[in-house]
Amino acid sequence: MDGKGWERVRMTRLGGPTASRGREAAQLRQVSSQTVRLGRVQPQAPSHRTIYCNDREANLLARFKVNSVSTTKYNILTFLPKGLFEQFRRVANLYFLMISILSTTPISPVSPVTNVVPLSLVLLVSLIKEAFEDWKRFQNDIAINSTPVDVLQGENWETVSWRKLQVGDIIRVKHDEFFPADLLFLASTNPDGVCYIETANLDGETNLKIRKALERTWDYVFPEKASEFKGEIQCEQPNNSLYTFTGNLIVENQTLPLSPNQILLRGCSLRNTEHIVGAVIFTGHETKVMMNSMSVPSKRSTLERKLDKLILALFGGLFFMCLIGAIGSGVFINRKYYYLGLFEDVEQQFNPSNRFVVSILTMFTLITLYSTIIPISLYVSIEMIKFIQCAQFINKDLHMYHAETNTPALARTSNLNEELGQVEYIFSDKTGTLTRNLMEFFKCSIGGVSYGVGITEIERGQAQREGRALNEIQKSDTVAYEKGFNFDDARIMRGAWRNERDPEIFKEFFRCLALCHTVLPEGDESPEKIVYQAASPDEAALVTAAKHFGFFFYRRTPTTVQLRESHVEKMGNIQDASYEILNVLEFNSTRKRQSVVCRYPNGRLVLYCKGADNVIYERLAGTNQDIKRLTREHLEQFGSSGLRTLCLAYRDLAIDTYENWNEKFVQAKSSLRDREKKLDEVAEMIEKDLILIGCTAIEDKLQEGVPDCIDTLSRAGIKIWVLTGDKMETAINIAYACNLINNDMKQLIITSETDAIREVEEKGDPVEISRVIRDSVSHDLKRCLEEAQLDLHIAGQKLALVIDGKCLMYALDPSLRVHLLKLSLNCSSVVCCRVSPLQKAQVTSLVKKGARRITLSIGDGANDVSMIQAAHVGVGISGLEGMQAVMASDFAIAQFRFLKDLLLVHGRWSYIRLCKVITYFFYKNLTFTLTQFWFTFHTGFSGQRFYDDWFQSLYNVIFTALPVIILGLFDKDVSASLAKKYPQLYKEGIRNTYFKWAVVAVWAFFAFYQSLIFYYFTTTASEHGHNSSGKIFGLWDVSTMAFTCVVVTVNLRLLMACNSITRWHHLSISGSILAWFVFIFIYSGVMTPNDRQENVYFTIYVLMSTFYFYLTLLLVPIVALLGDFLYLGLQRWFFPYNYQIVQEIHRDEVESISRTELLEIGNHLTPDEARSYAIAQLPRENSKHTGFAFDSPGYESFFASQAGVYVPHKAWDVARRASVRSSKRTSQR
Amino acid sequence: MSPKADPAPEGDAGVVERRKKSKKPKYSRFTQQELPACKPLLTPTIVISTFSLIGILFIPIGLASLSASDIVVEIVYRYDTECIPQQSQNDKLAFIQSSETDKTCLTTLTVPKNMKAPVYIYYELDNFYQNHRRYVKSRNDKQLRSKAYEQETTNCAPEATTANGSPIVPCGLIAWSLFNDTYSFAIQNKVIEVNKKNIAWPSDKNNKFGSDVYPKNFQQGALIGGAKLNESIPLSEQEDLIVWMRTAALPQFRKLYGRIETDLAANEQISVTIENNYNTYSFDGEKKLVLSTTSWIGGKNDFLGVAYLTVGSLCLFLALAFIVLYLLKPRTLGDPSYLSWNRNPDGHQ
Repeated sequence: MDGKGWERVRMTRLGGPTASRGREAAQLRQVSSQTVRLGRVQPQAPSHRTIYCNDREANLLARFKVNSVSTTKYNILTFLPKGLFEQFRRVANLYFLMISILSTTPISPVSPVTNVVPLSLVLLVSLIKEAFEDWKRFQNDIAINSTPVDVLQGENWETVSWRKLQVGDIIRVKHDEFFPADLLFLASTNPDGVCYIETANLDGETNLKIRKALERTWDYVFPEKASEFKGEIQCEQPNNSLYTFTGNLIVENQTLPLSPNQILLRGCSLRNTEHIVGAVIFTGHETKVMMNSMSVPSKRSTLERKLDKLILALFGGLFFMCLIGAIGSGVFINRKYYYLGLFEDVEQQFNPSNRFVVSILTMFTLITLYSTIIPISLYVSIEMIKFIQCAQFINKDLHMYHAETNTPALARTSNLNEELGQVEYIFSDKTGTLTRNLMEFFKCSIGGVSYGVGITEIERGQAQREGRALNEIQKSDTVAYEKGFNFDDARIMRGAWRNERDPEIFKEFFRCLALCHTVLPEGDESPEKIVYQAASPDEAALVTAAKHFGFFFYRRTPTTVQLRESHVEKMGNIQDASYEILNVLEFNSTRKRQSVVCRYPNGRLVLYCKGADNVIYERLAGTNQDIKRLTREHLEQFGSSGLRTLCLAYRDLAIDTYENWNEKFVQAKSSLRDREKKLDEVAEMIEKDLILIGCTAIEDKLQEGVPDCIDTLSRAGIKIWVLTGDKMETAINIAYACNLINNDMKQLIITSETDAIREVEEKGDPVEISRVIRDSVSHDLKRCLEEAQLDLHIAGQKLALVIDGKCLMYALDPSLRVHLLKLSLNCSSVVCCRVSPLQKAQVTSLVKKGARRITLSIGDGANDVSMIQAAHVGVGISGLEGMQAVMASDFAIAQFRFLKDLLLVHGRWSYIRLCKVITYFFYKNLTFTLTQFWFTFHTGFSGQRFYDDWFQSLYNVIFTALPVIILGLFDKDVSASLAKKYPQLYKEGIRNTYFKWAVVAVWAFFAFYQSLIFYYFTTTASEHGHNSSGKIFGLWDVSTMAFTCVVVTVNLRLLMACNSITRWHHLSISGSILAWFVFIFIYSGVMTPNDRQENVYFTIYVLMSTFYFYLTLLLVPIVALLGDFLYLGLQRWFFPYNYQIVQEIHRDEVESISRTELLEIGNHLTPDEARSYAIAQLPRENSKHTGFAFDSPGYESFFASQAGVYVPHKAWDVARRASVRSSKRTSQR
Repeated sequence: MSPKADPAPEGDAGVVERRKKSKKPKYSRFTQQELPACKPLLTPTIVISTFSLIGILFIPIGLASLSASDIVVEIVYRYDTECIPQQSQNDKLAFIQSSETDKTCLTTLTVPKNMKAPVYIYYELDNFYQNHRRYVKSRNDKQLRSKAYEQETTNCAPEATTANGSPIVPCGLIAWSLFNDTYSFAIQNKVIEVNKKNIAWPSDKNNKFGSDVYPKNFQQGALIGGAKLNESIPLSEQEDLIVWMRTAALPQFRKLYGRIETDLAANEQISVTIENNYNTYSFDGEKKLVLSTTSWIGGKNDFLGVAYLTVGSLCLFLALAFIVLYLLKPRTLGDPSYLSWNRNPDGHQ
């Protein structure tokens, strides 16, 4: 095989450059290998690429892609055509393009400027925005492309920018740097050719992964050596599969197979390794991460979709108006009006002998005339408003800036701002979002005595409510505190445990902590500097705890664990001990426990086991009921304090018992079928007759302010669902801590962990299993639904639904979905545990599509991406290492608690503002167009325009453009602090109070009323109107008058719609009115030589020479606004909105300026404040749940990779494995 | 596996800088949305005082306008049917279109009140669509303005050129259909002078109609639309035409015909001689002769006064109504019990 491969490589090398990738890969390969001829350019075999390391010339032929990356949408040439094309994909723009074209024909009553000017202005603004955004992307690309990296040139490292990298280059990547391209890992400074990488950018996992170079290439660390490296890599063509790689490395005629274990992907970073040397295999857009990059699907807000309906209604109105006019024109046209010159050859539009054609053509005429009813500048105004809202308000809000991670909020898309004001359901991830994923060893119970003086937030809250003071023990100054360890108790710290009643059990406890785990120590082997790499933070916390108790785990070899034990025999005595680890019985979700069998240096054989209380208790030996009872009490106590508990136990093994068992274990381990099941069974055989040592309690620290935020949000009418991959116990635990569930609520639990289901699962018939689960889920759902309706309507009790992933799988089935939806909508909170990312998305879309409510998903990891994309609004937690969720999200915030600001303040404001902007646009264009419409009735339906062309074209883009944008930016009904103080105000957004058809109808009514006033008042008053010189007005005098009234009124109406009036409002409104007058003074005062009908020449001066002008200008706007004023007054008096009452309550308060406030409390709370904050609302809790929780996502694979076996990730794939029998479950509810 | 986005923008380049510089947004009142603002609340007090204010403001204006309009003395006389001889009543059209018939019409008007000079003479047409689209655009302002553009007849069809192609000046339907009834007045056989100068807006006279443009080929076609023009007088002096060409906004309109510059005493009999030339009969239009004085507000126009008075009293009434309402059902400002969640704590679902 080797020889052959080599041959083909040679041949393709002669061929080469025009590597064409195609779908007919296989076919082409055949062709290419058959038709190799010297001197002819052959396509490189498309199925694989060949790379000559450290040989740029050879690679030149293949013309690999360069490493520079471009994420821009346009370039200079394509910008205009492509940008315009994008713009005309919008219906409104296309409509106006058509109108503009129509207005160049004689049919049109208006000259083309009327439509062309606004359209081009709108397009110009949009294009500038596009260009600006693309420019920013371009800048970003430049920054990335010019990041420096070391490339081997001759025998030296030379620093070049990323963009200069070529396939085949040998490069050096240093500690903490990102890989610039997909690399083949050749050598590292670590002795055994391994390196650690962080893949947070790819999958959001922050634990380190191990990559191992081929032994053959280990030596090429230094440039002198590396320059000698002349390998050839044959590998697959670029593809987007992150976890696979096939290829061979050919060094000195030796073919070495490559696996994903030797591949370092762009986007990952190097950790805990001084530097590595690698060969570039895929560059730029061909890297796996780039092949995976997918444009985030653009979401449109619900409001905008409703806006479409409004626009559609306007089109309907337009059509109706045109129809009336068209019929009228057909009826009107008659030769008797001889002065119209309707003689023999009159153009079709006015030909009385064909009234039908007249109607049809007039229809088009009127469409152009009334085109202003569609607010052309609406979309671009909304875009600008939203853009500024994002860039200036959301991104720069100091309340959403997180100082610890130096992360401000980030709006990644600008078209969902108002959606934030209507969210009714929040789907939240747990780890990293609600909790910090920071586990701290907090308490423990050893030998029936509880240790640890800390007080959890929940306890504190409980005490506060009961009004009892907690005698908090001052922490001693010398207390050791580090990440993962927040424990203090003078009785056992600093070796004091030796003076306790039974020191032996302490030793067992600490050794169990130090030995029974799968943690990897890293770095310097001193207690201060060591870093524990663990698959789950629980484990790291436990090992750290052992370290503080004097059992310092500092080294792991494949067969041993080495501890540095102090204070064992004598105070101050340090002694290194090596424990041989004979077997590891891994943790998994069904076993809920983990054991190791180890041999002491003195030959003692012990099995240490840690796991869930119920699992351990079942396997205890029958002795020492006291400890069992006390520990049980402590477990419950810890559990109710919101702590995560684990029971520790051990068992001494006799040698022959062990050997007997080990045989079976080895057998099971090497069996090919049902290995896991067999392993579990074998484990059962030895994990029995255990002796209980005690239990640990770990605090899963909540993010700052989470309970408070959740409480505020739920008072705002938002329902929060927790979707987590964690186990039910953990999920419930956190739900309690976050105040999502409390003991006043009735819990409805749908779980697959029932005996009936287990029994069937044991039989292993998949069809039967699915049938049974489905039946049980269906039954449960119906039962819960009945209960729910009973409780909700009769007892008025709040409900909480807890459902696990497996049940969810069946409950999401189309036949049961309706029940699930009904049930969950009745519940105040819903907790879904053990759900896969896909299910998260399914649940989100269930509510989104099924209930048609606005949903928001918030999460921090790659497993939340699908749900973030499925929801109306996706929020990513930023500031941590992982970027996946942020990349998929619409908004990124650093902390869950910032949701309060994001939704209640920014979202609410945006929503209210946008509603006002839209309804106002609707109103002003309708008013304007309707005056035109009334005029049509008096012109023989001829479609004569009432206003001058330029009036009409500038109406939308100048005379009324700016104030509405100011309104959209600055309107504030209540201040930010009040919005948070009265979260209920948010409900108005959920109910869409401000953009209902009723609201639109009110505006439409007043538009109708005002247009009648404008038209009839100005015309009637002008009929005999003249000044004392007796002269008479013409059409254009009247229309200028009417237009002046419209501009003034419409601008003043805006002022009435404002809740707060800043100087910007004054400026823009008076500016707009002034702009009109300046315009008309110039426009009507100047004669231009070009051929325009000087219709409005001097009109304004003529008008202003009469009293009529001033009297009308005072009368008409006031009469027009009187209706609105009366309406607003009555509405406020009799049917006040909630916000109006809040305004009134706080009417005399000067709005506090947050600057001082921010300086005082700072941007983030101190830990103590945060705690007291968090507890304030915690429920009275006496549940009997003991708080077992231990998570290890990707646990097995972590262990495997540690052993050098590459296991593709299968995280969150929870429903895959059938749970194995474990006997009766003690209820943890 | 979930789809991947390129992490590069934040990840690659950001990392180095992130460690150095703070991303804390700078405080500004703008970005923190704390711009100083006044917050007007539409409280009952404001509502009531606004209404009162408008009432107090409007009623005097209304009264003033009405009285101004009241001073104006106006005589309106519709003559389109009466100026047709009895025998032609059934075929008015034939009468008006015939060039043979004598279209002179005599009538007597009584002056109701003293009319101080100047007394303005208007003709009023009804059902005449000077604002019809085909009509409005049927003119060429360039041609009207300057002799240089005499050939310019765009938009003027069908009255653009004569049969042999030479341009009509002024072209277009508007000029073509120029009103051609004439009025002359006498009191006790003493002819009253009608001043027809200065009846058009000066801006039209000076800028829109050229002093070097003379009528040409006007009303030469087969169909005669209306008045003929004296070809020796430039357009800028043809004030009848200028007035006519400032097209009216509505199908019922008045246009200034001339001025009588002598006072007319009450109960005086004015004998009017009307040349009833203009054809409004084909489209059932009305023709009226109007004699009117003016005041500062202009001609007789009760509309503004009535509107002001009505609105003013309506506002006062509303103000009163609100006061009564306020006394009967006082509304406490900012009463938290109005908040929807306080009104029905549970029922908001």
